[in-house]
Amino acid sequence: MKLSRIITTLLSGLPVTLTLLVFSFIFAAAIGLGIAWLSLRNSAVCYNISRLYLGLVRGTPPLLMLLLAYYGLPKLFLLVGININDWSKLLFGIVGLSVGWSGYLSEAFRSAYLSVDQGQYEAALVVGMNPSDAFWRIIMPQTVLIALPNIENLVIGLVKATSLVYVIGLVDMYSSATDLSNQNQGVYQLEIFVVLALIYWMIVLAIEWVFRSIKKEYQYVTV
Amino acid sequence: MLLDIKNIKKTLKNNHVLKGIDLSIEKGEVVAIIGPSGSGKTTLLRNINFLETADSGMMKFRDQQIDMAKPSKEKILWTRRHMAMVFQNYNLFKNKTALENISEGLIFGQNMEKKTAESLAEAALNQVGLIDKKDFYPSQLSGGQQQRIGIARATVLNPDIVLFDEPTSALDPELVGTVLRDMKQLAEKGQTMIVVTHQMSFARNVADRVIFFADGEIIEQGNAEEVFDHPQNDRTRKFLSAIAEDY
Repeated sequence: MKLSRIITTLLSGLPVTLTLLVFSFIFAAAIGLGIAWLSLRNSAVCYNISRLYLGLVRGTPPLLMLLLAYYGLPKLFLLVGININDWSKLLFGIVGLSVGWSGYLSEAFRSAYLSVDQGQYEAALVVGMNPSDAFWRIIMPQTVLIALPNIENLVIGLVKATSLVYVIGLVDMYSSATDLSNQNQGVYQLEIFVVLALIYWMIVLAIEWVFRSIKKEYQYVTV
Repeated sequence: MLLDIKNIKKTLKNNHVLKGIDLSIEKGEVVAIIGPSGSGKTTLLRNINFLETADSGMMKFRDQQIDMAKPSKEKILWTRRHMAMVFQNYNLFKNKTALENISEGLIFGQNMEKKTAESLAEAALNQVGLIDKKDFYPSQLSGGQQQRIGIARATVLNPDIVLFDEPTSALDPELVGTVLRDMKQLAEKGQTMIVVTHQMSFARNVADRVIFFADGEIIEQGNAEEVFDHPQNDRTRKFLSAIAEDY
Protein backbone atom coordinates (compact mmCIF):
# COMPACT_ATOMS: atom_id res chain seq x y z
CA MET A 1 0.00 0.00 0.00
CA LYS A 2 1.28 3.43 -0.89
CA LEU A 3 2.28 5.75 1.94
CA SER A 4 0.18 8.53 0.41
CA ARG A 5 -2.94 6.38 0.75
CA ILE A 6 -2.20 5.82 4.43
CA ILE A 7 -1.65 9.50 4.99
CA THR A 8 -4.76 10.71 3.16
CA THR A 9 -6.92 8.11 4.91
CA LEU A 10 -5.65 9.07 8.34
CA LEU A 11 -5.89 12.80 7.61
CA SER A 12 -9.54 12.34 6.70
CA GLY A 13 -10.10 11.83 10.42
CA LEU A 14 -8.08 14.90 11.38
CA PRO A 15 -10.97 17.43 11.30
CA VAL A 16 -12.91 15.31 13.81
CA THR A 17 -9.85 15.00 16.05
CA LEU A 18 -9.17 18.74 15.94
CA THR A 19 -12.83 19.66 16.45
CA LEU A 20 -12.94 17.42 19.50
CA LEU A 21 -9.73 18.91 20.80
CA VAL A 22 -10.63 22.58 20.35
CA PHE A 23 -14.23 22.50 21.56
CA SER A 24 -13.60 20.07 24.41
CA PHE A 25 -10.82 22.31 25.63
CA ILE A 26 -12.93 25.46 25.44
CA PHE A 27 -15.86 23.89 27.29
CA ALA A 28 -13.63 22.10 29.79
CA ALA A 29 -11.89 25.40 30.57
CA ALA A 30 -15.23 27.18 30.99
CA ILE A 31 -16.59 24.48 33.31
CA GLY A 32 -13.24 24.31 35.11
CA LEU A 33 -13.29 28.06 35.76
CA GLY A 34 -16.80 27.77 37.16
CA ILE A 35 -15.83 24.91 39.46
CA ALA A 36 -12.68 26.70 40.61
CA TRP A 37 -14.79 29.80 41.31
CA LEU A 38 -17.22 27.72 43.38
CA SER A 39 -14.45 26.15 45.41
CA LEU A 40 -12.86 29.53 46.15
CA ARG A 41 -16.01 31.19 47.41
CA ASN A 42 -16.42 31.66 51.14
CA SER A 43 -19.24 29.19 51.31
CA ALA A 44 -19.21 25.65 52.64
CA VAL A 45 -22.07 24.68 50.30
CA CYS A 46 -20.27 25.93 47.18
CA TYR A 47 -17.04 24.33 48.30
CA ASN A 48 -18.66 20.95 48.91
CA ILE A 49 -20.49 21.02 45.58
CA SER A 50 -17.22 21.69 43.79
CA ARG A 51 -15.43 18.93 45.71
CA LEU A 52 -18.20 16.43 44.93
CA TYR A 53 -18.07 17.31 41.24
CA LEU A 54 -14.29 17.06 41.25
CA GLY A 55 -14.32 13.69 42.99
CA LEU A 56 -16.83 12.21 40.57
CA VAL A 57 -15.24 13.61 37.43
CA ARG A 58 -11.65 12.88 38.31
CA GLY A 59 -12.55 9.42 39.52
CA THR A 60 -14.16 8.39 36.24
CA PRO A 61 -12.02 6.98 33.42
CA PRO A 62 -12.32 9.15 30.27
CA LEU A 63 -13.48 6.16 28.26
CA LEU A 64 -16.33 5.61 30.69
CA MET A 65 -17.12 9.32 30.65
CA LEU A 66 -17.64 9.14 26.86
CA LEU A 67 -19.91 6.12 27.23
CA LEU A 68 -21.89 7.83 29.98
CA ALA A 69 -22.27 10.94 27.84
CA TYR A 70 -23.41 8.94 24.84
CA TYR A 71 -25.77 6.50 26.54
CA GLY A 72 -26.61 8.29 29.77
CA LEU A 73 -27.09 11.92 28.80
CA PRO A 74 -30.07 11.32 26.42
CA LYS A 75 -31.82 9.35 29.20
CA LEU A 76 -31.16 12.16 31.65
CA PHE A 77 -32.54 14.76 29.24
CA LEU A 78 -35.61 12.60 28.52
CA LEU A 79 -36.43 12.78 32.24
CA VAL A 80 -37.02 16.49 31.81
CA GLY A 81 -38.75 15.94 28.49
CA ILE A 82 -35.98 16.94 26.11
CA ASN A 83 -35.08 14.60 23.30
CA ILE A 84 -31.42 14.81 22.31
CA ASN A 85 -31.20 11.43 20.60
CA ASP A 86 -30.65 13.11 17.26
CA TRP A 87 -27.62 15.07 18.41
CA SER A 88 -24.57 14.12 16.41
CA LYS A 89 -22.02 11.76 17.91
CA LEU A 90 -19.47 14.54 17.73
CA LEU A 91 -21.47 16.54 20.26
CA PHE A 92 -21.55 13.65 22.70
CA GLY A 93 -17.82 13.19 22.22
CA ILE A 94 -17.26 16.84 23.06
CA VAL A 95 -19.52 16.63 26.12
CA GLY A 96 -17.75 13.53 27.45
CA LEU A 97 -14.26 14.93 27.00
CA SER A 98 -15.20 18.40 28.29
CA VAL A 99 -16.63 17.01 31.50
CA GLY A 100 -13.74 14.62 31.89
CA TRP A 101 -11.11 17.36 31.53
CA SER A 102 -12.98 20.08 33.44
CA GLY A 103 -11.92 18.63 36.78
CA TYR A 104 -8.22 18.75 35.98
CA LEU A 105 -8.49 22.27 34.57
CA SER A 106 -10.39 23.53 37.58
CA GLU A 107 -7.61 22.33 39.85
CA ALA A 108 -5.01 23.97 37.61
CA PHE A 109 -6.90 27.28 37.82
CA ARG A 110 -7.59 27.00 41.53
CA SER A 111 -3.99 26.34 42.54
CA ALA A 112 -2.74 29.08 40.20
CA TYR A 113 -5.20 31.58 41.64
CA LEU A 114 -4.05 30.79 45.16
CA SER A 115 -0.45 31.49 44.24
CA VAL A 116 -1.10 34.97 42.82
CA ASP A 117 0.06 37.51 45.37
CA GLN A 118 -3.14 39.03 46.80
CA GLY A 119 -1.34 42.26 47.71
CA GLN A 120 -1.81 43.26 44.08
CA TYR A 121 -5.56 42.88 44.46
CA GLU A 122 -5.46 45.28 47.40
CA ALA A 123 -3.26 47.65 45.42
CA ALA A 124 -5.84 47.63 42.62
CA LEU A 125 -8.63 48.39 45.09
CA VAL A 126 -6.79 51.31 46.64
CA VAL A 127 -6.14 52.97 43.29
CA GLY A 128 -9.92 53.03 43.02
CA MET A 129 -10.61 50.05 40.78
CA ASN A 130 -13.80 48.18 41.54
CA PRO A 131 -13.40 44.54 42.63
CA SER A 132 -14.38 43.04 39.28
CA ASP A 133 -11.92 45.20 37.30
CA ALA A 134 -9.23 44.35 39.85
CA PHE A 135 -9.95 40.67 39.36
CA TRP A 136 -10.18 40.60 35.57
CA ARG A 137 -7.33 43.01 34.81
CA ILE A 138 -4.79 42.10 37.50
CA ILE A 139 -5.47 38.73 39.12
CA MET A 140 -6.94 36.70 36.25
CA PRO A 141 -4.15 37.29 33.69
CA GLN A 142 -1.57 36.24 36.26
CA THR A 143 -3.62 33.21 37.25
CA VAL A 144 -3.64 32.06 33.63
CA LEU A 145 0.11 32.63 33.29
CA ILE A 146 0.83 30.59 36.41
CA ALA A 147 -1.51 27.84 35.26
CA LEU A 148 0.04 27.75 31.77
CA PRO A 149 2.47 24.82 32.21
CA ASN A 150 -0.31 22.73 33.76
CA ILE A 151 -2.73 23.71 31.03
CA GLU A 152 -0.18 22.74 28.38
CA ASN A 153 0.14 19.28 29.91
CA LEU A 154 -3.61 18.89 30.06
CA VAL A 155 -4.10 19.96 26.43
CA ILE A 156 -1.52 17.43 25.31
CA GLY A 157 -3.28 14.79 27.39
CA LEU A 158 -6.53 15.80 25.73
CA VAL A 159 -5.02 15.33 22.25
CA LYS A 160 -4.44 11.70 23.05
CA ALA A 161 -7.75 11.25 24.84
CA THR A 162 -9.62 12.25 21.66
CA SER A 163 -8.66 8.84 20.27
CA LEU A 164 -11.05 7.23 22.78
CA VAL A 165 -14.12 8.42 20.87
CA TYR A 166 -14.03 5.18 18.87
CA VAL A 167 -16.11 3.68 21.72
CA ILE A 168 -19.11 5.74 20.64
CA GLY A 169 -18.50 5.00 16.97
CA LEU A 170 -17.08 8.38 16.07
CA VAL A 171 -14.54 8.25 13.23
CA ASP A 172 -11.49 10.30 14.15
CA MET A 173 -7.87 9.76 13.10
CA TYR A 174 -7.40 6.80 15.37
CA SER A 175 -10.57 5.08 14.12
CA SER A 176 -9.57 5.76 10.50
CA ALA A 177 -6.24 4.07 11.21
CA THR A 178 -7.70 0.95 12.80
CA ASP A 179 -10.34 0.73 10.05
CA LEU A 180 -7.68 0.94 7.36
CA SER A 181 -5.59 -1.65 9.11
CA ASN A 182 -8.53 -4.04 9.45
CA GLN A 183 -9.52 -3.63 5.80
CA ASN A 184 -6.07 -4.94 4.90
CA GLN A 185 -6.11 -7.81 7.37
CA GLY A 186 -3.50 -6.09 9.45
CA VAL A 187 -0.78 -6.46 6.83
CA TYR A 188 0.16 -2.76 6.91
CA GLN A 189 -0.62 -2.34 10.58
CA LEU A 190 2.83 -1.19 11.69
CA GLU A 191 3.21 1.38 8.87
CA ILE A 192 -0.24 2.76 9.58
CA PHE A 193 0.35 3.13 13.29
CA VAL A 194 3.76 4.72 12.84
CA VAL A 195 2.23 7.33 10.51
CA LEU A 196 -0.59 7.85 13.02
CA ALA A 197 1.90 8.37 15.85
CA LEU A 198 3.81 10.90 13.74
CA ILE A 199 0.66 12.91 13.05
CA TYR A 200 -0.24 13.01 16.75
CA TRP A 201 3.32 14.00 17.48
CA MET A 202 3.10 16.90 15.05
CA ILE A 203 -0.10 18.12 16.66
CA VAL A 204 1.64 18.06 20.03
CA LEU A 205 4.64 19.92 18.56
CA ALA A 206 2.30 22.63 17.28
CA ILE A 207 0.71 22.93 20.73
CA GLU A 208 4.11 23.17 22.39
CA TRP A 209 5.05 25.90 19.93
CA VAL A 210 1.91 27.90 20.77
CA PHE A 211 2.58 27.69 24.51
CA ARG A 212 6.24 28.54 24.01
CA SER A 213 5.23 31.66 22.10
CA ILE A 214 2.86 32.75 24.85
CA LYS A 215 5.55 32.24 27.47
CA LYS A 216 8.02 34.22 25.41
CA GLU A 217 5.54 37.06 24.96
CA TYR A 218 5.15 37.31 28.74
CA GLN A 219 8.68 36.38 29.78
CA TYR A 220 9.08 39.47 31.96
CA VAL A 221 5.86 38.89 33.82
CA THR A 222 7.28 36.75 36.58
CA VAL A 223 4.48 35.90 38.92
CA MET B 1 -10.08 69.08 59.36
CA LEU B 2 -9.52 66.78 56.40
CA LEU B 3 -9.81 63.46 58.21
CA ASP B 4 -11.26 62.92 61.65
CA ILE B 5 -11.44 59.43 63.12
CA LYS B 6 -13.23 58.76 66.38
CA ASN B 7 -12.85 55.76 68.64
CA ILE B 8 -11.82 53.11 66.13
CA LYS B 9 -11.69 49.63 67.62
CA LYS B 10 -10.55 46.39 66.08
CA THR B 11 -10.17 42.92 67.57
CA LEU B 12 -8.44 40.02 65.86
CA LYS B 13 -8.73 36.62 67.52
CA ASN B 14 -9.41 38.09 70.98
CA ASN B 15 -6.47 40.39 70.55
CA HIS B 16 -7.31 44.09 70.81
CA VAL B 17 -5.32 45.45 67.90
CA LEU B 18 -6.84 48.93 68.01
CA LYS B 19 -8.17 50.08 71.36
CA GLY B 20 -10.36 53.03 70.52
CA ILE B 21 -8.17 55.45 68.64
CA ASP B 22 -8.92 59.08 67.81
CA LEU B 23 -6.94 60.63 65.00
CA SER B 24 -7.36 63.93 63.20
CA ILE B 25 -5.38 65.02 60.18
CA GLU B 26 -5.25 68.57 58.82
CA LYS B 27 -4.92 69.28 55.13
CA GLY B 28 -1.24 69.41 54.17
CA GLU B 29 -0.09 67.73 57.35
CA VAL B 30 2.62 65.05 57.31
CA VAL B 31 2.08 62.63 60.16
CA ALA B 32 4.61 59.93 60.99
CA ILE B 33 3.49 56.96 63.06
CA ILE B 34 6.30 55.14 64.81
CA GLY B 35 6.27 52.28 67.26
CA PRO B 36 7.16 48.63 67.79
CA SER B 37 6.23 45.96 65.25
CA GLY B 38 2.86 44.36 65.84
CA SER B 39 1.49 47.38 67.66
CA GLY B 40 -1.32 47.90 65.14
CA LYS B 41 0.13 50.74 63.03
CA THR B 42 -0.46 48.95 59.75
CA THR B 43 -3.89 47.77 60.87
CA LEU B 44 -4.83 51.38 61.53
CA LEU B 45 -3.93 52.40 57.96
CA ARG B 46 -5.75 49.40 56.49
CA ASN B 47 -8.89 50.30 58.40
CA ILE B 48 -8.80 53.86 57.14
CA ASN B 49 -9.10 52.74 53.50
CA PHE B 50 -11.25 49.71 54.34
CA LEU B 51 -8.85 46.96 53.33
CA GLU B 52 -9.98 45.74 56.74
CA THR B 53 -13.19 46.60 58.53
CA ALA B 54 -13.14 47.93 62.06
CA ASP B 55 -15.42 46.63 64.82
CA SER B 56 -16.53 50.17 65.57
CA GLY B 57 -15.54 53.76 64.87
CA MET B 58 -16.68 56.84 62.97
CA MET B 59 -14.77 58.59 60.27
CA LYS B 60 -15.31 62.02 58.78
CA PHE B 61 -13.37 62.40 55.56
CA ARG B 62 -13.89 65.66 53.65
CA ASP B 63 -17.64 66.16 53.86
CA GLN B 64 -18.57 62.49 54.28
CA GLN B 65 -19.49 60.84 57.53
CA ILE B 66 -18.73 57.10 57.43
CA ASP B 67 -19.47 54.37 59.94
CA MET B 68 -16.21 52.42 59.92
CA ALA B 69 -17.86 49.21 61.07
CA LYS B 70 -20.51 49.25 58.34
CA PRO B 71 -19.23 51.21 55.36
CA SER B 72 -21.41 50.97 52.24
CA LYS B 73 -19.82 49.85 48.99
CA GLU B 74 -20.27 53.34 47.58
CA LYS B 75 -18.50 54.97 50.52
CA ILE B 76 -15.65 52.46 50.35
CA LEU B 77 -15.13 53.18 46.67
CA TRP B 78 -15.47 56.93 47.24
CA THR B 79 -12.93 56.86 50.08
CA ARG B 80 -10.45 54.86 48.04
CA ARG B 81 -10.84 57.22 45.11
CA HIS B 82 -9.82 60.13 47.33
CA MET B 83 -6.99 58.38 49.11
CA ALA B 84 -4.01 56.40 47.93
CA MET B 85 -1.69 53.90 49.54
CA VAL B 86 1.93 52.89 49.19
CA PHE B 87 2.71 49.37 50.37
CA GLN B 88 5.67 47.85 52.13
CA ASN B 89 6.12 45.24 49.39
CA TYR B 90 5.33 47.71 46.58
CA ASN B 91 2.54 45.46 45.26
CA LEU B 92 3.08 46.66 41.70
CA PHE B 93 0.91 44.90 39.14
CA LYS B 94 3.32 42.30 37.80
CA ASN B 95 1.47 41.88 34.52
CA LYS B 96 1.66 45.61 33.75
CA THR B 97 4.55 47.82 32.68
CA ALA B 98 5.75 50.71 34.81
CA LEU B 99 3.64 53.11 32.77
CA GLU B 100 0.55 50.89 32.92
CA ASN B 101 0.97 50.49 36.67
CA ILE B 102 0.56 54.24 37.01
CA SER B 103 -2.16 54.76 34.38
CA GLU B 104 -4.32 51.82 35.50
CA GLY B 105 -5.85 53.68 38.46
CA LEU B 106 -6.53 56.77 36.35
CA ILE B 107 -8.30 54.76 33.67
CA PHE B 108 -10.23 52.28 35.81
CA GLY B 109 -10.53 54.20 39.07
CA GLN B 110 -11.17 57.68 37.74
CA ASN B 111 -12.58 56.80 34.31
CA MET B 112 -10.03 58.92 32.50
CA GLU B 113 -9.35 58.67 28.75
CA LYS B 114 -6.49 56.27 28.07
CA LYS B 115 -4.45 58.91 26.23
CA THR B 116 -4.80 61.51 28.99
CA ALA B 117 -3.99 58.92 31.62
CA GLU B 118 -0.87 57.84 29.78
CA SER B 119 0.45 61.36 29.43
CA LEU B 120 -0.14 61.97 33.14
CA ALA B 121 1.63 58.69 33.92
CA GLU B 122 4.56 59.73 31.74
CA ALA B 123 4.78 63.03 33.57
CA ALA B 124 4.77 61.17 36.89
CA LEU B 125 7.56 58.87 35.68
CA ASN B 126 9.51 61.89 34.50
CA GLN B 127 9.22 63.45 37.90
CA VAL B 128 10.77 60.45 39.65
CA GLY B 129 13.38 60.18 36.89
CA LEU B 130 12.25 56.76 35.67
CA ILE B 131 10.83 57.67 32.27
CA ASP B 132 13.38 55.43 30.55
CA LYS B 133 11.86 52.47 32.41
CA LYS B 134 8.30 53.09 31.28
CA ASP B 135 7.99 49.86 29.28
CA PHE B 136 9.74 47.72 31.89
CA TYR B 137 7.86 45.17 33.95
CA PRO B 138 8.28 45.13 37.75
CA SER B 139 10.49 42.02 37.52
CA GLN B 140 13.00 44.12 35.55
CA LEU B 141 13.21 46.87 38.16
CA SER B 142 15.07 47.16 41.46
CA GLY B 143 13.17 47.39 44.73
CA GLY B 144 13.86 51.10 44.98
CA GLN B 145 12.61 51.72 41.45
CA GLN B 146 9.53 49.63 42.11
CA GLN B 147 8.70 51.56 45.25
CA ARG B 148 9.18 54.91 43.55
CA ILE B 149 6.77 53.76 40.86
CA GLY B 150 4.48 52.69 43.70
CA ILE B 151 4.62 56.25 44.99
CA ALA B 152 4.02 57.67 41.51
CA ARG B 153 1.05 55.30 41.12
CA ALA B 154 -0.41 56.72 44.32
CA THR B 155 0.27 60.42 43.76
CA VAL B 156 -0.79 60.54 40.11
CA LEU B 157 -4.34 60.06 41.39
CA ASN B 158 -4.09 63.46 43.06
CA PRO B 159 -5.37 62.03 46.33
CA ASP B 160 -6.35 64.05 49.40
CA ILE B 161 -4.28 61.75 51.57
CA VAL B 162 -1.53 59.25 50.81
CA LEU B 163 -1.11 56.41 53.29
CA PHE B 164 2.40 54.97 53.47
CA ASP B 165 2.74 51.54 55.06
CA GLU B 166 6.42 51.13 55.95
CA PRO B 167 7.46 52.11 52.43
CA THR B 168 11.17 51.53 52.96
CA SER B 169 11.15 48.43 55.17
CA ALA B 170 11.59 45.93 52.34
CA LEU B 171 14.34 47.88 50.58
CA ASP B 172 18.05 47.30 50.49
CA PRO B 173 19.65 49.90 52.77
CA GLU B 174 21.36 51.75 49.94
CA LEU B 175 18.04 52.21 48.10
CA VAL B 176 16.18 53.71 51.05
CA GLY B 177 17.52 57.19 50.37
CA THR B 178 16.04 57.50 46.88
CA VAL B 179 12.57 56.58 48.12
CA LEU B 180 12.78 58.91 51.09
CA ARG B 181 13.83 61.74 48.77
CA ASP B 182 10.67 61.25 46.69
CA MET B 183 8.59 61.27 49.85
CA LYS B 184 10.25 64.41 51.12
CA GLN B 185 9.60 66.18 47.81
CA LEU B 186 5.99 65.18 48.08
CA ALA B 187 5.74 66.53 51.61
CA GLU B 188 7.26 69.83 50.51
CA LYS B 189 4.59 70.13 47.82
CA GLY B 190 1.98 70.09 50.56
CA GLN B 191 0.69 66.56 50.08
CA THR B 192 -1.18 65.28 53.15
CA MET B 193 0.54 62.08 54.24
CA ILE B 194 0.21 59.48 56.99
CA VAL B 195 3.45 57.55 57.14
CA VAL B 196 3.95 54.40 59.18
CA THR B 197 7.70 54.10 59.30
CA HIS B 198 10.76 52.76 61.03
CA GLN B 199 12.88 55.50 59.43
CA MET B 200 13.38 57.80 62.39
CA SER B 201 15.30 60.28 60.25
CA PHE B 202 12.22 60.76 58.09
CA ALA B 203 9.96 61.11 61.11
CA ARG B 204 12.30 63.60 62.70
CA ASN B 205 13.12 65.72 59.66
CA VAL B 206 10.04 65.66 57.48
CA ALA B 207 6.99 64.99 59.64
CA ASP B 208 4.94 67.84 61.09
CA ARG B 209 3.68 65.55 63.79
CA VAL B 210 5.03 62.30 65.20
CA ILE B 211 2.75 59.75 66.80
CA PHE B 212 4.17 57.04 69.02
CA PHE B 213 1.95 54.02 68.81
CA ALA B 214 2.14 50.89 70.97
CA ASP B 215 -0.20 48.07 71.96
CA GLY B 216 -3.04 49.41 69.87
CA GLU B 217 -3.00 52.88 71.40
CA ILE B 218 -1.56 56.30 70.75
CA ILE B 219 0.86 56.71 73.64
CA GLU B 220 2.21 60.09 72.79
CA GLN B 221 2.19 62.64 69.99
CA GLY B 222 3.65 65.99 69.16
CA ASN B 223 6.20 67.60 66.90
CA ALA B 224 9.47 65.77 66.30
CA GLU B 225 11.33 67.66 68.97
CA GLU B 226 8.72 66.90 71.62
CA VAL B 227 8.54 63.20 70.89
CA PHE B 228 12.19 62.49 70.13
CA ASP B 229 13.96 64.87 72.50
CA HIS B 230 11.51 65.25 75.34
CA PRO B 231 9.37 62.15 75.45
CA GLN B 232 6.92 62.27 78.35
CA ASN B 233 5.98 58.62 78.49
CA ASP B 234 8.15 55.78 79.75
CA ARG B 235 7.04 53.50 76.94
CA THR B 236 8.21 56.06 74.38
CA ARG B 237 11.55 56.51 76.10
CA LYS B 238 12.16 52.76 76.15
CA PHE B 239 11.35 52.43 72.47
CA LEU B 240 13.55 55.35 71.49
CA SER B 241 16.53 54.17 73.48
CA ALA B 242 16.17 50.63 72.07
CA ILE B 243 16.45 51.95 68.53
CA ALA B 244 18.88 54.73 69.43
CA GLU B 245 21.57 53.59 67.03
CA ASP B 246 19.15 54.05 64.15
CA TYR B 247 19.14 57.83 64.08
